[in-house]
This record gives sequence, C-alpha cells and structure tokens, in this order.
Amino acid sequence: MELENLHDFLVNYFVTNQCEIIENENGRMKVQLTDKMDEALMNRPFYWQYVKKLGYPGEPMQVTFITNPDRKDEEGEWVHFGSPRLHQIFKTLTTQGKYTKQFERVSTNQKTALVPWLVTNIKISYKGKQKKNEMLSVGLHLINGTMVTGMMDSLHSRSFQSSISDFCYTITPIIRLKSGYQRIVQQIEKWILQQEHTWAKESIERMEEEKVLLKHFYENGQELDEEEKESTKAIMEQELKDIEDRFKPEIALDVVNGGIFYLSQASSMKMIT
Amino acid sequence: MNIEIKKDQTFIDELESRIEQAGEFCSWDIFNMSYHSSKATLTSEFKGLTAPKHLPHMEFLPHQLDCAQQVVEEMNGRGILADEVGLGKTIEAGLVLKEYMIRGLVKKALILVPASLVNQWVTELNQKFYIPAASQRKKYAWEQYDIIVTSIDTAKRPQHREIIQEINYDFILIDEAHKLKNSKTKNYEFVRSLKKKYCLLLTATPVQNRLSDIFNLVSILKPGHLGNYEDFTNRFGRDRKRLFNDDYLKQLIQKVMVRNRRGDTGVDWTKRHVETVWVDFSDEEQQAYDQLTTITRNAEKGSSFSAITLTRELCSSREACYLSIQKMINKGLIGAQQEEYESLIQQIGQLPHHAKAQKMVQLIQQKPNQKFIVFTEYRASQLYLQWLLQQHGISSVPFRGGFKRSKKDWMRQLFQNHAQVLIATEAGGEGINLQFCNNMINYDLPWNPMRLEQRIGRIHRFGQQEDVHIYNLAIRNTMEEHVLTLLYEKIQLFEKVVGNLDSILAELNIKDMEKEMNRIFSESETDGEAKIKLDNLSSVISFTQERLIEEELNGTRESS
Repeated sequence: MELENLHDFLVNYFVTNQCEIIENENGRMKVQLTDKMDEALMNRPFYWQYVKKLGYPGEPMQVTFITNPDRKDEEGEWVHFGSPRLHQIFKTLTTQGKYTKQFERVSTNQKTALVPWLVTNIKISYKGKQKKNEMLSVGLHLINGTMVTGMMDSLHSRSFQSSISDFCYTITPIIRLKSGYQRIVQQIEKWILQQEHTWAKESIERMEEEKVLLKHFYENGQELDEEEKESTKAIMEQELKDIEDRFKPEIALDVVNGGIFYLSQASSMKMIT
Repeated sequence: MNIEIKKDQTFIDELESRIEQAGEFCSWDIFNMSYHSSKATLTSEFKGLTAPKHLPHMEFLPHQLDCAQQVVEEMNGRGILADEVGLGKTIEAGLVLKEYMIRGLVKKALILVPASLVNQWVTELNQKFYIPAASQRKKYAWEQYDIIVTSIDTAKRPQHREIIQEINYDFILIDEAHKLKNSKTKNYEFVRSLKKKYCLLLTATPVQNRLSDIFNLVSILKPGHLGNYEDFTNRFGRDRKRLFNDDYLKQLIQKVMVRNRRGDTGVDWTKRHVETVWVDFSDEEQQAYDQLTTITRNAEKGSSFSAITLTRELCSSREACYLSIQKMINKGLIGAQQEEYESLIQQIGQLPHHAKAQKMVQLIQQKPNQKFIVFTEYRASQLYLQWLLQQHGISSVPFRGGFKRSKKDWMRQLFQNHAQVLIATEAGGEGINLQFCNNMINYDLPWNPMRLEQRIGRIHRFGQQEDVHIYNLAIRNTMEEHVLTLLYEKIQLFEKVVGNLDSILAELNIKDMEKEMNRIFSESETDGEAKIKLDNLSSVISFTQERLIEEELNGTRESS
C-alpha cells in the first residue's frame, strides 16, 4: 500500500478540487462539496439533472469522512483502503489525472530555456495462472534522447505550474512525441525480455497439462452419432479456450498517466546524472 | 519463450491531440495524486491474499483464509468448497471472488444459488465484500450488470439462457452444487455449457450416494482430472467407499476440493445444550392415539404408508391429523375402514389443546426476553401454533419454503426486530441465517437426521455469540419416543456435530432415511418389532460411525 497517510491524501484531494474543509481533527473531517464534486461522488444524477433543467443553483452536500479506525462508529462515513468511497475517488482520479503539461517554476530575471521531457507512468501486468503488476515511471529527454526511470520521485522535490514562468522560454522538441513514446516502450520490452519468467513457464506447463487431460476426457469408447460428435466437439473447443484464458501468459503495458514537462537545464542535468 | 506483450497506443495519440489542439490538462497535484492512487492499488506479488487488507471490517477465520488462498494459488480458481455446514463457505467464496476482482482477473461473474438465497447472497457480497452484486430482475440485467446473482432455474429459462450462454464469464459460482451430481440432468448440461474461466462449487455433501457423483462434479471444473468416465469406472468401480480408502483417488480429489470440519478449524465454537423435553398425552389424546394405531395396524397393505403419516401428524397437532383424514375420506381412499375413521375423526375433533403445544408455550414463557425458532413438519400445526401463541400474547411470524424471496426477507426482519418466535416448516429450514437467535425448539423431529443438522446449522454457526439451546419435544408412549431414544439419542446425534453423518448414511447406502423409517413402522406387526428394527438401524449407524472415526485417526480417510 502506497498511501501512507490516507487522511492527508483525502484532505489534499478535496482541497485540490476546490472543496472547503469545514472541520478537520484527529482523523475526521467535514467537507463542503462543490457542484462538480457532488456530481462526481454522491450518486444522485437525477437531482442534478433536475436542478440543471430548471436552471436552479444546486445545493451540494456536506459530507463527513472518518479515516481514524478508532472513531469509525461515530457519525460519518468510514473511509479506508478498499472502501467503495476510496475506490470511487481513485476512479475519478484515473480519468481526471491522466494527461498533463507542466512547467517548472523558476524565479529569474534572465532569459532561461526550459527543456521538454516526456513523462509516462506505466503499469506492467504479468498475467498467467496468477497475476501481479508493477509501476515504472519513465522520463525521456526530448532533445538528446536520454531516458531515466524513477521519474516521479525525481520530480517530487520540484514545483510546477501550468503556465510558463516569466523570462522563460521552451526549446522545441527534436524527438517527436510518438517516436519518443515508441523508444520508451521498446526499452521496457527489451528489459522485460531479459528477465526470468518462471511464472510464465509454470503457467504454460499447467496449461498444457490441463489440455491433455481435457482431450483425454473426451476420448471415451462410446459410440456417438454425427450430431453428438458435433456438440461434444463444440463443448471441447470452448473448454480449450477457457483453459487458455485461464493460463496463457500475457504481459500488458498500460499508461496510467503522463504528459510533457518543461524542466530547467539545471534540473534536467540532475535527472540525467 | 514467446509471451505476448500488449501495448497501450491510445494514450500517446490522445496526448498528442491535446497538445496540438490546446486541450485540457490536469494540474500537477491531481497528476501526482492519480499516480499515487494507482500505485496503491497494485498487487506486487503473484502469491498471497490481498483481499483481507481491503476489508478491515471483517474478521476472517484462519481456515477461511487458508481455503481462499489454496483455491487461488493451488487450484487456480477452480475448486469445490465442501466445508461442513456453518463454517462459512459463503465467506470463502466471497474472498476468492474479491481477490480476483482486486487483481483485475474477474470482471463478469455469475452466481447461481437456490432462489430462496438470492437476496442473502446479494446483501452479503455487497456489505461484507463491497462487491457490487445485483440480483437479476430485468431481462437485460445479464449484460448491464457485471456481477449477477440468480437461481439456476431462472438462468436456464429459454429467454435468458441464450443470452447467458453467449457471455464469457470470468467467474461462475454454484451454491448447493450437490444438486448437480447427476450428469444426465438439464441443470448439469446447462452448467457445462457456460463459458467460464474460474469456477467454484459449494456443497456440504460432495458425495452422496454414488462414487460417480464426485466424478460429475469434478468434470464441471476440470474435465479429465479423474480420467474419462470409462477410466474412472474401470479403475475405481462404483463403490463409494473407494473415495476414502483409495489413496490415489483421495489425492486427486484433494487437488480440487477443500473440506474443513468443525474440529479442524481451531475456533472455539459456542456450546450446544440439547435437552429432551418429555410430554405426556392427556388421557383423551392417548385414547385417540391408541385408536389410530389400531386402525392403521389393520390397514390394508399399500395404505399403511399414509397411516404412518397420520400417526406422526397426531403427535404434532389435532389439526394436521384431522385435515389429512378428512382429505382421505373425501377422496375415497379409505375403503373398508370408513366407519372406524369417521368415529376417530369425531374423537379428534373433541380433543383439548395439544399437550405438546402447551409444553412449547411454557418453554417460551420461561424465557420471555429471548428469541425462539420453532420447527414443525406440518403446515396445519404451524397455523395452530401461531394461533396458540397469539392467545398467550406471544408474537410470532411464520416461515415457509414456498414464500417468495421478498416475503422471506421480510419475515426474517420481522423476527429479528419485532417478534419473539419464528415458526418454520421443514422446507423453510434451508438457507436462512438466524444467528441472532439461540433457542430452537424441535416441535416435531424430522426423520432425516441430515435435516436436523441443517436446522441446527441455521443458528449454530459462525457469528453466533451465545451458547445454543436446543429443545426436542417428544411424547411418551408414541412413536416419537422410539425415534428419539432408539435412534437419535443412541447415535448421539445431538452431542456430536453430525458432520460425518452424510458419509455414514451414504456408506450404508441409505438414500432416504425418512423412507427407511417409514418402512420400519409400516412393515412391523407390533410395536415391539418396530422397536427392534429401529434399534438395529441405530446400531449399524453407530458401528459405522466408530469405524469411520477410527479410519480417520489412522489417516486412511479423506481429510483436507
């Protein structure tokens, strides 16, 4: 679990989404939702449809959330890792926070160049008889092609804004976005192929075993007429497919989010070394 | 090795178009939060369960966690969950489903359960597991909702079956799966025809009568695991005992089945106190009873079966017996004994309140602040008891198998929140959980010990906080006395949790205990003869029970 402090995460989430925090103490908080957040979280589409149709201002709700398990029986909604509410919040974030364009905040009174980086956070899923996944955060310098991992951690200590700081200007990328992305994906593929994939070997073995068993199952001495043969064959084909669905190893790369980041030369140098 | 790698192309296309067309971008804070929340939902290990971490409001028992882990890791999501009644098969199944959903392996699931349990499953999955399950109510629900709970009977109706058979289910669950033991049935064929990735079969009695039962169940999950039908019968024959004394077969079964017994769970179960409450018929009642026995003993061969039923009914209530006799007379089923029956029915009509019913009222009055569930075998008795309780100012609700789902839920709720007593007929015994009640009155004893265990399982299950009190009412000098002392007490049915009774009966090839007892009573010329036969039956059962326990100790028997 990555969210070390769920409470701070929630406060941050609501503040960032322009909601006012009315109360906040010891793992319990009261939030005044905005229209937008009420619509996104409170599951009352008919209310909002109605209000909008009549042109009235809506009345967004106030909600109390509890993150401290010791206080979970108090009035309010207990939010914990795995609770439907958090799941819902995460879901809003995956769409809300997918694409970005950021400029490093620089205070200067001299002309300063900002270097373009493509940043992608990629989830790699390994699926065989079991499944696991991991996250890679990759940055690509769109001028000289340098690629670095752990990008989000490196960006963490810097400040960003959505418009460029005074006296700054951006350098036009030499590598186009699409080919930059191709480079990243190819690099990950290369890296994946270098790994040991015991899990995949085991999954394939298991898949083959099950297929052999299945085929044998249908080899009985019974005499079947044409129609029976057809239907038996159809069932067997389906079951073979079910086995493949269940065991066939597969790796998937999904971009969780990403975007273009303009960093100062100094920051860029630090990333590379 | 050739592993397919799927790549994401939509992201970069969209990013590029947003940059070119000055589209919308999120702030750094949101971007950062989105990254961290996605990271939080990763599962970084192939093995282990992540579901319990998502469900901090639940306390899982060790055997439930072990079971779920075994199903996921070793059985790759296809297995038979065969715990004894009341150990939480639903919980185990919920854990497995949740685990797969968290890992993104299951999206579409079909949960097939008896019609009476649909709502309970929906509620449990939603409340305990945060699994957004819905019951099928509209035709298009199959496609609209990802997790659907319904009954096999609904699912296989022509208008639904075609839709369902087209869907690629990631997960299929079948509760009370022993009903699928026969491969020639429509239900079996239907289940085999579904497209499915993972599959769980839930049953407390995985093998009932024939060794082929288990072959058929396993063939739903893993066709070929036990060979084809020919191999199987050639190698293991038809003898059910093979399941326990053939090491090879045992090993094979263990790969697809988890079976926990109460004793294995390491949980401190609340105690069961079982008390036999003896009742004496009033003189008038005893006279009527003796009269009935004489008539039925003289009954022609062929009608003796229903005569036994009448006797049992009289032990339950005047009403039950009266109505049955009247029905027989009306249908002209009585023949030569018409006169005798007509005088008897007059006699019954004049009987005072039933001695057993009055005893029941007393028992309930002794604990005015506690809830009771009363089981009777007959609907007429159910109505009578409800009326009698009302006369004494005791509130009660009826419960029957035939009630609609919503009515069952409603009755259960009324019982929990308002009424002191729930009066259930036999068919109502299956499937409802009443852990909030810890007193049970077996007003009539069923003649099938398995059903008795099922009754007790309604209240003596995981979640019960109090010791459980079970009162068995029996009338002296009637067939009830014989059944209770010669059969149930002798096999110590009430003291031991009869988890292995199913295997004992199967071993003895007793398919229907009730029929067996009916035969004993109807084929015996005298009371003494019936007693001897009953006694013999219970001796055989005890003997088999001891042998099985011994085998188990020697490790020659199935265990999980």
